[in-house]
Order: sequence, then structure tokens, then C-alpha cells
Amino acid sequence: MALYLIARIDREVVALPATEIGSVVEVDQVAAVPRVPDHVAGLFALRSRVLTVIDTRASLELGTIDRNAAMTAVIVECDGHSYALLVDEVEDVIEAGQPEPCPALLSASWRRAAKGTIRRGEDAILLVDPAVVVAGPEPLAA
Amino acid sequence: MDDLLTDFIAETRDTLEALAGEIVAWEADPADKARLDAIFRFVHTVKGSCGFLDLPRLGKLSHAAEDCLAEVRSGARTPDAALVSAVLAIIDRIGELTDALEANETLPEGEDEFLVAALAQGPAPTAENHATVSKISVMPSNAPIRTGSRSIRLPVELLDRMMAGVSDMVLARNELSRLLRAGGNSSTTEVAFERLSLCVGEMRDAITRTRMARIEALFSALPRMVRDLSAELGKTVRLEVDGGDVELDREMIEMIRDPLTHIVRNALDHGIETPEQRRQAGKPEVGRLRIGARQSANQILIEVSDDGRGIDAERVVKKAITAGLVTTEQAAAMSWSRKLDLIFEPGLSTADQVTGVSGRGVGMDVVRANIERIGGTVDIESNPGQGLRLSLRVPLTLTIIPALTVSSNGTLFAIPRSAIDELVRPRSDQVRIERLGGELVAFIRGARLPVVDLGRFMELTDEADPSLLVVLRAGGGERYALGVEAVHDHEELVVKPAAPALMASGVYAGTTLPDNSRPMLLLDVAGIAAAANVCRDQAVVEETPVEKRTARAALPTLMFRDLDGVVRGVRLSLVERIEDVATASVVDTGGVQMVPLQGRLTKLHKASALPESERLRLLRLSDGEGAVAYAIDQVIDVVEMRAELAPTTVAGPIAGVVLHEGNPVEMLDAFWLFTHGSTAPAREDSPLCLVADAEDPWAREVLAPLLGAAGYRVMFAGESTDDRVSVVVTSTGHTPEGVDAPVVRLRGTPDHNGDESIYRYDRDGLLSALRRHVAGGK
Repeated sequence: MALYLIARIDREVVALPATEIGSVVEVDQVAAVPRVPDHVAGLFALRSRVLTVIDTRASLELGTIDRNAAMTAVIVECDGHSYALLVDEVEDVIEAGQPEPCPALLSASWRRAAKGTIRRGEDAILLVDPAVVVAGPEPLAA
Repeated sequence: MDDLLTDFIAETRDTLEALAGEIVAWEADPADKARLDAIFRFVHTVKGSCGFLDLPRLGKLSHAAEDCLAEVRSGARTPDAALVSAVLAIIDRIGELTDALEANETLPEGEDEFLVAALAQGPAPTAENHATVSKISVMPSNAPIRTGSRSIRLPVELLDRMMAGVSDMVLARNELSRLLRAGGNSSTTEVAFERLSLCVGEMRDAITRTRMARIEALFSALPRMVRDLSAELGKTVRLEVDGGDVELDREMIEMIRDPLTHIVRNALDHGIETPEQRRQAGKPEVGRLRIGARQSANQILIEVSDDGRGIDAERVVKKAITAGLVTTEQAAAMSWSRKLDLIFEPGLSTADQVTGVSGRGVGMDVVRANIERIGGTVDIESNPGQGLRLSLRVPLTLTIIPALTVSSNGTLFAIPRSAIDELVRPRSDQVRIERLGGELVAFIRGARLPVVDLGRFMELTDEADPSLLVVLRAGGGERYALGVEAVHDHEELVVKPAAPALMASGVYAGTTLPDNSRPMLLLDVAGIAAAANVCRDQAVVEETPVEKRTARAALPTLMFRDLDGVVRGVRLSLVERIEDVATASVVDTGGVQMVPLQGRLTKLHKASALPESERLRLLRLSDGEGAVAYAIDQVIDVVEMRAELAPTTVAGPIAGVVLHEGNPVEMLDAFWLFTHGSTAPAREDSPLCLVADAEDPWAREVLAPLLGAAGYRVMFAGESTDDRVSVVVTSTGHTPEGVDAPVVRLRGTPDHNGDESIYRYDRDGLLSALRRHVAGGK
């Protein structure tokens, strides 16, 4: 059994492995960064740390999160850098068993991000790899 | 040297501790090759350091042990118990001596020989020997408690964590400071905070210093390297090392080590010639290699210069063309320094043959890449035949950077101060921005720089209208101007690497959190230049003349103080030269003053009476033909001055007034000066004027000079010439025989007597008649 954070990105409820998550914070005042990929929403100062804010919707090619409202972000560490993953909502933390393989029918971006599914009661929830979300959409094949 | 010794002691002790287990294991199994190797490496290292640090005792011991172990390793000797004991005794002794060295004590000398003797090949160890050995090897336990350890060794990661922690503290302090300011706190809180703030600041400095080491650590290996290399290459080189006490981030030292080694190798291999070649080139046989370090502001400058053959930029270009790095057209447009910079391109080596030392086509590009990775720059100066100088500039530390905060369209960015040349406001003729084909170009005191508008570059706006220009050095001697809206602050920023997605843009060097706790990005000055494509053809841009451009708006003007104390100006193009003449040489003839300049009397204009000084300063003004002199007090400056002037209403030597930097400056009226007394020299093709009355003193003394001054060549009747006579002047009515030219007749009285003659003192009438006839004659 492992702990998972349940969040909503767009209309999809997803799970993130709790072991990879530092905290969940409210994000305001994101400093925009020009000339970077769309899924990088900007920089955010959490106490004395500077976090790179990732728009998970943009990352999964599902549009963008409304950056004017108060935003919720999941803090993750990835390759020595701290990121704030903007999500639409954080719902819960649950305990669940080992992830199962993904169903076959998934859109391309979900297929990339999902590492499997976990069970919450009757529902199957996609387990998302934060590193993939941080990396953003794949560049168009050249 | 102290530092090196401390390092040596710490290192030796570390190894000894690590080796303790190995020694025991070796003792148990003397045939164990791996253990033997470890011990051999240790004594070998100690021996090497001892030679360098001048520690003969330790040196002798370690040398003896090394010899013996080498024999064992080569199989010439089999390790027996006696040998193992002897070696162990020596290693223990090294430990004791090291302790003694640190405590500044001396150990009795005599016993060393015993130890060395014990190593010597002996059939069987004597009991006595054994006793000595065991006695000595017991000694460390009785050794005095190590006193006042002066240095400890720490893993760099721990230092990094401390540094990161302190950086966080600084940021937390800044945040707290902001909150306190916003909260309208009491003065007691403020005092307490100030104290905390001070402590944090001191701590940061202290921790920063723990990362610092003397650059000597980098230089100390050079003498040996130079000695070995030059011997190998058959060259004689004198190495001069300077500035070893400059302190630098330890990590930085490690980053510079390889590039520096490479540069030194290159200098020895390719730069400095063999003694024979040097003699032929008229240089001293001993080559000179200078390595120096010094701190300049927040940078460390490391210079490596040699007096070898230098690098011929043309050769570099040829190689680059052959290697397909540049096209012939590109090469033709390059300046010398730009060509020289090609040496840093990957895959280019100027060495014609590959030697064991260098010249494999890798190197200088790696050197530059390494230095630039740590925020430094490499500059190269070459003087073919005379030598080469490479300047490495690196920041003091990796993490705290003095930076300038700028903004465009409300977004703040930081620029490393080390990259900033100057800040200018494009408002005057000296500094202005022009649009060329949609791109902005800055003209800063005659230099033309490409402009990158920060707002437009960062896609914050479509309109580029910078109010300030930050002139930046993009590395490699290239410069460009970054147009920004405002400059805010200069602060020391704790810079952290940005996330890969940000770094991938190539225009950021890191993130930072200033006091306002709004994250900010540090700009990568060279990256922006590359992304905006501004520096690629700069050499071409610079070579286009700027004078034509500036001529429209402003004219170079010589400003001077006139004799009457007024500051006046004259267009520089009119000033042929500035001359000092003896005041006494000024000739006063009938109210007109003439001065001999270049062998000819020149009309002297002046604003007031000549000074009583011995020497007189003159401007020799020339319109290309005639010349006048203008007496001045002193030259002030040559400035660019606007062309428009407010004209005076009265004709005179002053044409009008120009506003220069808010002050009116009177401009000399060149037209008036030249119409009033210009003396044009007679030239080969000037019209030849024949004066008929060769015997008449008036014609010789009065008429001829007048004609000469008016620009005619004068000859008298009876002289012979091959040239055609343009006009004949006569006051007696006689005309010379056989001359086919119009005749101007002069008369002695002003009364008009009906003929076409001209009164001989009617200067204007005479000159205009001459002109008419000369023109008609052609």
C-alpha cells in the first residue's frame, strides 16, 4: 500500500505518488517568464525558494489553467529543482495498492504522463508521473 | 607556502587514517598486491610533496620506502615480515613527523637511519632491529595530543549545503525585513532585527570565505609542468608566476585548472620557439612565460602571456576556411580580432603537426566553454612574432553575483554587472538610436552597436522604444546595447540555477530572489546576443563609416578661446593646422597684419589686440586654395556641434551663434574671413601675368606683390618662359614684342580719360579686368 495525492487536472481526476510531493500550496503572484515553453507558467517564491510553476493543463495539452484566480499547486522536486504543479483542485490523499497497467484507450498526452492506474473504491484513477508533467508536451516531431 | 604545508599535513593525515586498515591487512598477507599498491601510492605521494615543500627528512624516509616497495612490486624482492615491519615503521614515522610538523616541533633525527637501514636487504632481521622497530611503532600512542589543528578537511557538498543554507537565510532575512517595514514595527524589534541581519551578513561572508582558496593552489603545479614540458620539447623557458595570493572560490579553481593547463601547454608547444628559432628571430634564447592573477572588482583576471611566435589570424582563417567553418566571403569581412577568435571554434587547431603535448584539434574551444560555463570570458591578443596573451576573466564566486536590475514593460530582470560596459541615455547627438530596416542601431560616440530591445526581445511588447541603453559585452570582445525602459537597482544577488525548461531558452543564467521576494531572472548576456543574432556580423557593421551619418546632424567643431576671452568655434574641416609663431614675426603693413606661414605671408585675423607674449597661437584656416590665419588664445576641444546656427545680422568675422550644451558659441564666418584677405598661392597652372615695365620700381614693388597675392604668376618683360602669357599689364603703355595676350593698361591718375585704362590704385578694377581678360583669353 502507498499514499497518493488525488488532484483534478481539467476534468480528469489523477493520482500523484505522495512520496514525490513536498507540499500543497496556494499560489498567487506568479512572475511570468518570457521565451519559455507554454507549460512553464513562471516563477513563484515559496519562502526563500524559487519554484518553477508548471501549468499541468498546458503540459498535458488540455488548454491552460485560469492563472488569474487563486491557484493550487503541488510542490515536487525533480532533478534537483523545485516545481509547483498548478492543478485545478486537490481532492484528497488516499492509500491504494500497487498501480495497474493503463487502459489501452488514452489520448497521446495522457499516455505519456500516466504510469498506470490505482483504485479508489470502484474508480480507476490515472497515476501521473510528475517528471513527465514537468517536462511538458513533447516537441512536435521534426 | 603555509597553506600548502597545511594542505599537505591534512592530506597526509587523511591518507594515513585511511591506510591504517590497509597496513594491517598487508601485514597479515604481504603478498596482497592491492594493499601493496595503496601503500606504495601513499609513500610516493609523500615523497613528491616533500620534494616540493622542502621537507628532506620526510623525503628521505618516503624515498627509501618507495624504493623498497618498488622492488617488491617488480618482484625483485619478496615481502617478508621484516620488510613489512620496516615499512610500517616508516609509515608510522611519517605520521609522527607530520604531527611534529604541525605542532612546530622537531623530532630527534638519529632514528631515521635505523628505519632506513631496516629496509635494506638483510638476510634476517636481528632481534635488535625488531626491538627498535617495535619501540618506534608504539610511539604514536604516546605522542602528544594534537594541538591547535589549523585546518580541517571538509567535503565540498557540506560546504555547498552550508552555503545554500546561508543563502536561504539571507533571503528569509530580506523577506522578514520587508514584512517588518510593512508592519510598522516598534523600534525594539527593529534593533533586534538589525542585529540578526548583521549576523546573517557576517555569516554569509564567513561561509563565502570558507569556499575561498589562494590561486597558488592552481599555480603551484606549473613550475614542474613547465620544466618537464620544455625539457621534452627541447625549449628553454623561464616561468614567471605572479599573484598567487589572490583568493578564488575553491570550486572555481578546480574549474580553471584544466583550461589553464591547456593554455600553458599550448604556449610551450606552439608559442615559444626553440632556442635556435628564437636566436634567428633576434629574441633571447630563453622564452618567457608569464602567468599572473589579480582581482579587478568582482572578477579575477588571470593572464597568460608568452613571447613566442603568437598566432597569425590570417592562418587561423585559412584553416577555418579549409575546415569549412567559415566561407571565404565571411572571412573577408572579418576584423583581425574576429579572425583570431576563430581559434576558439571547435575542430580548429593551428598546429601543423600533432605532438604529444597538444595540437589535436581539441582544446581552445573546450577552454572557452569551460570558462564561460562558470560565467567567465576568454580574450585573446596576438602579436605575430612577438607573443600571445590570453586573459581569463572569472567571477569570484559562483553564487553571489553583483547585478543591475532593469525592467521593460513592468518585468524585472537582472544583468550581471561584470558584463556591463556602460549605461547611456540616447538623447544627444553623441548617443542616439536609429532605425535601420526595422532594426534599432545605436550610435554611441561614433561607434555603432546593434540594439536588442528587452521588451520586444522578451515578447512583452511589439513597440521597441528603449529609454536607456545598457551596453553589454557578449564575450569575445563583441558588444551590443540592450534597450531597457528603466534601471532600478544595483544589488548583490544570490543566484541559483534555473529549471532546465528555463535554461533551455538560452537567455537566462539563473533565478534569484531579491528583497521584494518577487522571483527574478538573471539574463545570459551572451545567450541573448546569440538568440537575437546581433553579434554575428558585427565586425562588418563596425567597419562601415559613421562620419557620413554624423555629418548631417552635427559637424566636428574646434572650440577655442579667442584673444578677447570669448569662446568661439570654427568647423574643423577648415582648420588646416594649429601653429605657434613668434609674435614678432607678425608684419603690420598699413593696418593689415600678415604673418609668415609656410614661407608665405598670410593675412592674420584677430578679435582683439595681439597679446604681449613672445609666442602667438594661430589657426591656419584653409578653404583648399587660399589660407588665412586666425590668432587665438587657446584651443579648448574638438566637439560635435549642431550645424544650424542663428546668424548674425551684421556681416563680419562671426557667422552666428550655435547652442552647444546649453551655451551659445560664436562660430567664425569662414566665408567672410576668406573674402577678406585670403592669400591663395600661385600654382603651376595659375594664369601667367606679364608685367611690361620691368624697370619701373612701382611695377616691381607694388604691382607684382598685388598680382601675386591675387593668385597670378608674375613675370617681367625680358624674362623668358615656355608658358603662355595670359595677360599683360602695363602702366607705361609699352607692350613687349611678340606676346599675344590681352593687355591691361594702367594710368597714374584717378581721372577717367576716356580710354580703357584703369587707375593703378583701383585694386578692385584692376583685379576684375585681369579676371575678365584671363577668362576671355581661354
